[in-house]
This record gives sequence, C-alpha cells and structure tokens, in this order.
Amino acid sequence: MSVLLEVDDLHVTFATPRGPLQAVQGVSLSLEQGKTMGIVGESGSGKTVLSRAIMGLLPRQTATQTGSVRYNGQEILNAPNSELRRLWGTQIAMVFQDPMTSLNPVLRIGQQITETLKLHLKLDRGEAKETALSLLMQVGIPSPVERYDAYPNQLSGGMRQRVMIAIALACAPRLLMADEPTTGLDVTIQAQILDLLATLQRDRQMGMILVTHDLGVVATRTDEIIVMYAGNVVERAPTRVLFSKMSMPYTEALLRSTPRITNPSHTRLVTIEGRPPDLSAPPAGCPFAPRCPYVQDKCRNAKPPLTPSSVPGHSYACWFPLGTGDRTDDKAGVA
Amino acid sequence: MSAVAGATPSGPPKERPLLNVEDLVVSFTKGKSTVQAVAGVSFSIQEGETLGLVGESGCGKSTTGRAIVQVEAPTSGKISFGDVELTALDRSEIRTLRTKIQMIFQDPISSLNPRRRVRDIVAEPLTIWKIGTKAERRATVDAMLNSVGIDPDVSGDRRPREFSGGQCQRISIARALVLQPQLLVCDEVVSALDVSVQAQILNLLEDLKKIHHLTILFIAHDLAVVKNVSDRVAVMYLGRLCEIAPSDVLYEAPAHHYTAALLSAALEPDPEAERDQTVLSGEPPSPINPPSGCRFRTRCPRAETKCAEEVPELREIAPGHQVACHFPLVGT
Repeated sequence: MSVLLEVDDLHVTFATPRGPLQAVQGVSLSLEQGKTMGIVGESGSGKTVLSRAIMGLLPRQTATQTGSVRYNGQEILNAPNSELRRLWGTQIAMVFQDPMTSLNPVLRIGQQITETLKLHLKLDRGEAKETALSLLMQVGIPSPVERYDAYPNQLSGGMRQRVMIAIALACAPRLLMADEPTTGLDVTIQAQILDLLATLQRDRQMGMILVTHDLGVVATRTDEIIVMYAGNVVERAPTRVLFSKMSMPYTEALLRSTPRITNPSHTRLVTIEGRPPDLSAPPAGCPFAPRCPYVQDKCRNAKPPLTPSSVPGHSYACWFPLGTGDRTDDKAGVA
Repeated sequence: MSAVAGATPSGPPKERPLLNVEDLVVSFTKGKSTVQAVAGVSFSIQEGETLGLVGESGCGKSTTGRAIVQVEAPTSGKISFGDVELTALDRSEIRTLRTKIQMIFQDPISSLNPRRRVRDIVAEPLTIWKIGTKAERRATVDAMLNSVGIDPDVSGDRRPREFSGGQCQRISIARALVLQPQLLVCDEVVSALDVSVQAQILNLLEDLKKIHHLTILFIAHDLAVVKNVSDRVAVMYLGRLCEIAPSDVLYEAPAHHYTAALLSAALEPDPEAERDQTVLSGEPPSPINPPSGCRFRTRCPRAETKCAEEVPELREIAPGHQVACHFPLVGT
C-alpha cells in the first residue's frame, strides 16, 4: 500500500498576548491509501489544530508551523495557497463539525455542490447538476431533485451534514478529513452518518482521518487510533490493540471515565482529577504527570518519548507503561 | 385513615411521588401552525429518585423539563409537586414554589452572568429571598462552593470567563442548590463537557443527591450518561412517552422498538462490541404534522395498520415497566 499522508515532527505554535502557545508539539503520523485513522483527544488536546495544519487552513500570521506534511510525497506544509487550492477538493477534502455554520446560508444546496464541480472538474452547468444530484442520492438524501433547490435552513442537522459530505466528496478526493462529523447530531442520525462515511470510504478506497473526542465513534470504524493529550501524541496503536493492550495511563483514564450502557446504573465513574496543562507554559516532564495516578519523580522531570511496544504499530509515551500483559481485565472500564 | 394495629397492608408503604405529571400538553403557536411539543405525557417521580428522560432533539424532553419548572406554561394537563397543583397557582405562588424546584442548564458558561463574581452568582438566590444576614449568606455560599469542588478563597471573587466549562457547571450546580430545593431538573448538563470532566460532574451530582436528599429529573440524549445516574428511565419520541422502566430493565430488555433502536445506535467504546445492525432509517417526522396513531410507526420495523389507526396508550407490562406500543418486544 502506498503512503498517502506523512506527517513528521509537526509543531504548531500560536502567537498569543500571553506568549507562544504550543498547540501541537512534534506530531508524526502516516496514513496509507484506503485506511482510516482516528485522532482522539479532549478539548485543547490539539486534535483540531493538527487536522487544520494538515489541511493548511491555519492563519499564517499567528500560527508558526514547522516540521513536514507530505501528501503523496509532496511537501504541503506552508505551501502557498495557490498550490493548496489545487489539492483541496480534488485530493484532500474536509467535513467540518458544524454543518449549520459551514454551509453558506444564502446559497441553495445545489449551487454549493456544483461550485466545486465547475471550478475543479470544469464541468458545464448540466453535467454539474447531474453529478450533484447523483451525489445527493449517494449520501442518502431523499427526493434529491427537490433538495437541490433548498436552502440549508430548510434541512435538518443530519441532512445538512449529508450535504457537507456530498460537497467534500464531489471531486473524488483521495483523503477525507472529518473533524467531529457527528458531534451535535442525534444518536440514530450519528449512526447513519458514520455508516455512510464508512461505506463511501470503502467504496472509493479513500484515506480517512476521523477526529473526535468520543472513543465510541472510533472503536469500530478505524484501522488505527492516535490519542492526543496537551499537543502530544501519547499513544498510537491499531484499533483493537489500543483497546485491549493500552499502555498509556491517560488512554486508560479516558476509557474508564466514559459511561457505558453495558454497566449497571449508578456505577461510580473513574475521574481524571485536575486539568490539562497550560500550553503556553508546558511542563518539563510528561504532560499528563500532574493528573496521572501512577506518577513518579522521573515523570515530572523528563518528557517520555513515543516508544514502540512489542506489538507492531503500537507505541506509547510513558516511562512506566501499564502492565505489558494482556489487560483485558481493565477493559470493562469498571472501577 | 384509621391507624388500627395490624390492619396495615403487608409490604412497604406506598411511596409518595414528589412530582406527578398528568397528561401534560405544551403547544407552541406560530402564525397558523401549532406544534404540540409535548403531546400528553404522564409520569411521576418518587421522593429521592432520579428519573432519566431520554430522546432525540425535538422530542419534547426539554420542554417537559421547562414546563415542570414553570418556565413554559403548560397548555393543558396537571403538574403536582407534593400536594400542590402547580398549574393552578398564580405568579407569586409559582415564584415562591420555585425555590423548591431548581433547574440546571446545558451551557454552563452562558447561563452565568459574565459580569458578576462567583460568590455573588451563588449568593443571588439567597439575596433575592432575603435569607440570613450578609455574614450568614457568605458562610452558606462558601460552604456550597466547597461542596461542589470550587475553593471560595481562591475563586470566589473571579468571574465566569476565568473558569473552564466544567467549573462553570459546578458553579451552576452550587447556585441551584443554595436554596436547598427538593427537586432538581437537569437539562443536558454534561453534554457540552469533555468525558473526563463529564465523569466528575456525574459523580458530583450523585454525591450531592445523597447529601441534600434531592429528587432529580435528568434530561439528556446520551443513553450511557442517563443510565449511569438514573433509577428509572423514560424514553420520549415526538412529544410522547414510549417507555418507562427501571434503568437496568430498560437497557437489558427494552419493550419499545424505538428504545431498542436507540440502544443499538449507541456507540460503545469497545471494538469487540457486537453491533446490532438495526440502525433506524430516516428522521423523525415534523411535530407540526405528526403521524396518526403511533408516532413512531413511520420508522418502526414492526408497524402494522393498527399502529396507524390507534394511538397506543402507556400500559404496564411488568411491575414498574410501562410501554406505549401495540406490539412490544417483551411482555405482550
């Protein structure tokens, strides 16, 4: 399989009145064609900044970006917008979290889809409309002919997200970035949208990056997961490995603090006390050390590097990783 | 009732519901169209109980909560709180009663006044009701802030913007509890929070419930969250109740097809979890023009002609387990 996206030691620093804020601190990852990767983290972990840096959507004046982002072997970090514009849509596309604010409220749905088709694929009006209608059909919008002339406010949240997906897929990109694509949608609609993304990804053999705060979203729909905390990748593993053999205490804590429908009611949740560190003055040691239940002196003084475990594809950033044996006993998430 | 020895029936005495909602209807009119956001909902909450209310957006769960707090005037139906019939009260009586019924909202940051200090925010209910002296109020507020995990000496004089969402939600909880209410209505109180913070707030609510002997109506869309805190759970769809049951029963053996569909759509953080493939297709119909009969029939895998003709009433299929379905999954 060919490598589609390769990120190497990416740093993103924002200039703020309080000094430089290190939102992403040396992230490396790679994604093969046709594979899906989940990026999981809580707010402020840097997951959204990372995905925008990959897309080249961060403001150049305030965000200093160093390292490397290669798409298909071509360096695109800090590339001029004219060059990026050739990639956006046709090669890399993005589905954003909020379908209400990401669609233009004064343009009809159809127009917003055909816009990209006319620009990138140089289709004429008739061809563009035909393609747009077939896209609306593919993303499961009932009576696409009527919806084509509708405005975004006439559609439900789930329908708008389908339109966003149709726009993202219009020019058949090879890499799809989805940033919290189902946050804010109802459970039954969320399941529909995730199934839709999975089907389209498989059919089109796209690479897909699913950015989310919800471990449930990525558990059954990704090949690999990256866990981010305070701007760093703290664990990376093939999905099944991550859930069964997690090594990083943060990953464990995240899983254990998630309420689960399989647990009896009034199950005491395990909490992570404290808050993530201030990214304008990151701690010297492990960023999770102040909140880690297993913290030792070394953790406070030296930052652990991402270290490979014995399982292929699995690495973690921890000096004292959780037991190396099979940890299925912890999987239930019960304290 | 006469207290003749030995004449009391066996078993525990019948619990007295703190809140009883009977055939509640809340409709909104805009121009010529009327929407019944809540279309005849009945349930009760026992003293000391947490009732979870789940459903998707637009199902009327928040409106139900707001009607109970009397923020939204019910169109018809009865809401009794203890022995008091809320719908029969005048404005000043409602205002007085509201000290006993408090609500916590979804967005913790926007529900706090950005220009006021934390201590003043929490003290406001006491100030309004002129409870205690200034010094007593301050002591009450500080104790309350401590109990929700905010250090009043460090944070008491700060303003909401200096706090994270989780901390703002703690402040909202302190404000709601400072008048020592009996009933707390929580509307999506953790849905804007990160998982780790969400767990803190859920645990906090469980602790405070014990300390203050609270009765809670917990409204949320997240099934796992609702199960975690609730003794019983009610499921709502398009303005009506589908099912009410003790939490463990409802999640183990749902009787309503909608409950089952919701459960199968819930995402478990476990790659080995068996995924039920009965994902619901379509979206909820518009409440302006709801389907005849059973409101869920347009998306129900089991729907028959009877479902279009006859509205299924909520009926008991097992002790404490009620379902509104002609063809329930269990207990026919």
